[in-house]
Amino acid sequence: MNAAMYDHIMVRFGELSTKGKNKKDFIFRLGDNIRNALKEFNGLTYNVRMDHIYINLNGLDPTPIVERLKDVSGIYSFSLVLKTNTDIENLKSLTLDILNKENKKTFKMRAKRADKLYPIISDDINRQIASHVLKNSSYKVDVHNPDVLVSITIREDAAYIFTEDIMGAGGYPLGVGGKAIMMMSGGIDSPVASYLLMKRGVALECVHFAAPPYTNAAVIDKIKDLCKELNRYQAKIKVHIVPFTKLQENIYKYSNESYAITIMRRMMYRISERLADKYKCLAIANGESVGQVASQTLASMKVINDVTTMPIIRPVAIFDKTEIIKIAKKIKTYDISIRPYEDCCTIFAPKNPKTAPGLEEVLAFEKKWDFESDIEECVKNVETIVVTSDLEDKDKNYL
Amino acid sequence: MIYFDNAATTSVNREVLNAFNDLCVKHYGNAASNHKYGQDSNRLLNMARDQILKLFNLDNDYQVIFTSGATESNNIAIKGVALAYQNRGKHLITTSVEHPSVLNAFKQLEEEFGFSLTILPVNESGCVNLDDLKNAMRNDTILVSIMHVNNEVGSVNDIEKMSEIIHCYPKCFFHSDTTQGITKIPLNYKSLDMFIASSHKLHGLKGSGMLILKKNIRPLPLFSGGGQEDNIRSGTNDVPRDVVLAKTMRLEMEKTNSNYEHVKEINNYLRKELLEIEEVVINSPNDASPYILNFSLTKHKASVVVEALSLHDIMVSTISACSSKKNEKSHVLTAMNKNITISSNTIRLSFDEANTIEEAKQFIQIFKNILNELR
Repeated sequence: MNAAMYDHIMVRFGELSTKGKNKKDFIFRLGDNIRNALKEFNGLTYNVRMDHIYINLNGLDPTPIVERLKDVSGIYSFSLVLKTNTDIENLKSLTLDILNKENKKTFKMRAKRADKLYPIISDDINRQIASHVLKNSSYKVDVHNPDVLVSITIREDAAYIFTEDIMGAGGYPLGVGGKAIMMMSGGIDSPVASYLLMKRGVALECVHFAAPPYTNAAVIDKIKDLCKELNRYQAKIKVHIVPFTKLQENIYKYSNESYAITIMRRMMYRISERLADKYKCLAIANGESVGQVASQTLASMKVINDVTTMPIIRPVAIFDKTEIIKIAKKIKTYDISIRPYEDCCTIFAPKNPKTAPGLEEVLAFEKKWDFESDIEECVKNVETIVVTSDLEDKDKNYL
Repeated sequence: MIYFDNAATTSVNREVLNAFNDLCVKHYGNAASNHKYGQDSNRLLNMARDQILKLFNLDNDYQVIFTSGATESNNIAIKGVALAYQNRGKHLITTSVEHPSVLNAFKQLEEEFGFSLTILPVNESGCVNLDDLKNAMRNDTILVSIMHVNNEVGSVNDIEKMSEIIHCYPKCFFHSDTTQGITKIPLNYKSLDMFIASSHKLHGLKGSGMLILKKNIRPLPLFSGGGQEDNIRSGTNDVPRDVVLAKTMRLEMEKTNSNYEHVKEINNYLRKELLEIEEVVINSPNDASPYILNFSLTKHKASVVVEALSLHDIMVSTISACSSKKNEKSHVLTAMNKNITISSNTIRLSFDEANTIEEAKQFIQIFKNILNELR
């Protein structure tokens, strides 16, 4: 595809075409999300319509813009298009130009007349343009497997010519699905779970449990770097960092080592629930995968889940590790996730964690100390950072 | 001073220098240290790498290796890869017009390590013919290195077409010395397995450069050491130097189009004026990089004229800075089939965005006077 020929990008909606009365909200939200995703490209202008969103390139190189658009959820597909007047002679010569620049052998025409008042029917548009091309080039027609499929859409105000449909991310525009709080450890699974939810239109805030000095400060950089990769899907991500050291020390002080992970996860859920309420999140999400580790057996999940009535969304619950890794590589979080730092879940990992902890025993351990005040302290001392793809002020001068 | 020698080196951008100075004072931590301060240096290094890859539209299947400049980058790419993959084949291909850091690296591999080397000729424009490349490719060819923009005459090779030919051979890697083209002449860098940059050609620091290569390529390290830079280039990172390379690149990339138009205007003017002078032959082809304009003198010794220009505070090169002290003929022009008078009496003008048309006019005036005086 010869990008230099084109002056607009035409964006097509995905599943939302079917969502009758919410359609307008969805489209406006998608328009805002696209603007946000492309905000670094100064000079783009937008025309948000109920049928498509048009982005006027105003002379900018579309290559990096195309890459960015591929990550915006709620886009079914998009094309680089040439916007021009509807005069048939003009369409003939532009089509020939485009085909000559493509420098291939076979083509097929696909005209569509959205403006039914246009005097030539689609079939005849195809015929007239094709015969012009056949007369003036070495191109041949191949209706089954053309090298180049030239599409022309004729509207009242203009005609749009394009040769390629680029698939978008699909899903729903971010934000139409409400907001959830994501438990982000820094491992491989939670960024993948985040991506899957964002793609589904759910905006996220993250909660991270830090236990310095048991956990390295570089873990926070790791979380930031992961969020920066996720910024392609959500431009601004809040990360709530919970100071977990005291609570974690008490868990080990008052409970049996083999129950520690179960109780720790219960505490994390409790804190997440409070933060969710505070920041108006409707669900808790995480990267748990059934059976992956002791705390993620169904028996464990039941005991851990017992502390909250909030919906818990586990997007990768039924994925194999290899499937999760494949997505992590695709969204470029894998290399960051495997940086070797301890997190709260690994630093004190017991040798024999309970795979089927009993709720009775857990409750007995939790009665031994006033964990509520520890939790309140955690929530009170949360430090919130906002991660965007922009450089932080302190780094701007250097890069 | 009129400085028309920007292919030799450039002035340092004040913004780059300020950032470098700040970093030296505030971020002296060793990027390999595990403490917070060291890790902050490492974080900056990784941000610099990411920014550089993004500037070239590359995914994370490529990586940035920071080096001391073009010579080191070329040596790692060529000797490192040839030695690491010699069990796949021992045939190498390069061209007759490469920079010495490429050509001599290949010659060393041929003479000291028993590789067989094909040195491709160039046509009269200084470019490699695609058919010559096609014919030279063998099943045991493991590395091809062809420069993007020639440093003496500015000829631009069709790297993307060459990539198609080379990548029909799955065992073969394609490296390009992109020193004179990077940030200046657009190229789809995904067509290359390895390419390089030198910071000081781009208003950055001397002693700074990089090699970008596909992550799956593992050159034999030329230095043994602590395993920095993914064990491809050991030695404690000079964090300030490496971080501001990303800034250097960004600042240049933001001006690619406007700089191109600007130097093209200067180049066109000089080309037109020089063509009118009887004892001048222009060597740079019409479609060369506008940053470089090379011509020869048919009746004067170039070294004398360059000296005379220098006395008038006009800085230009004979051949390239790297070979100009040797007082010999240009291997590039010889390869372009120019006679000995032409190839040993060349002058290279090379531009940047700070040069002006007024400087070009002044140059022509003084240059004409010198030719008359020396007559």
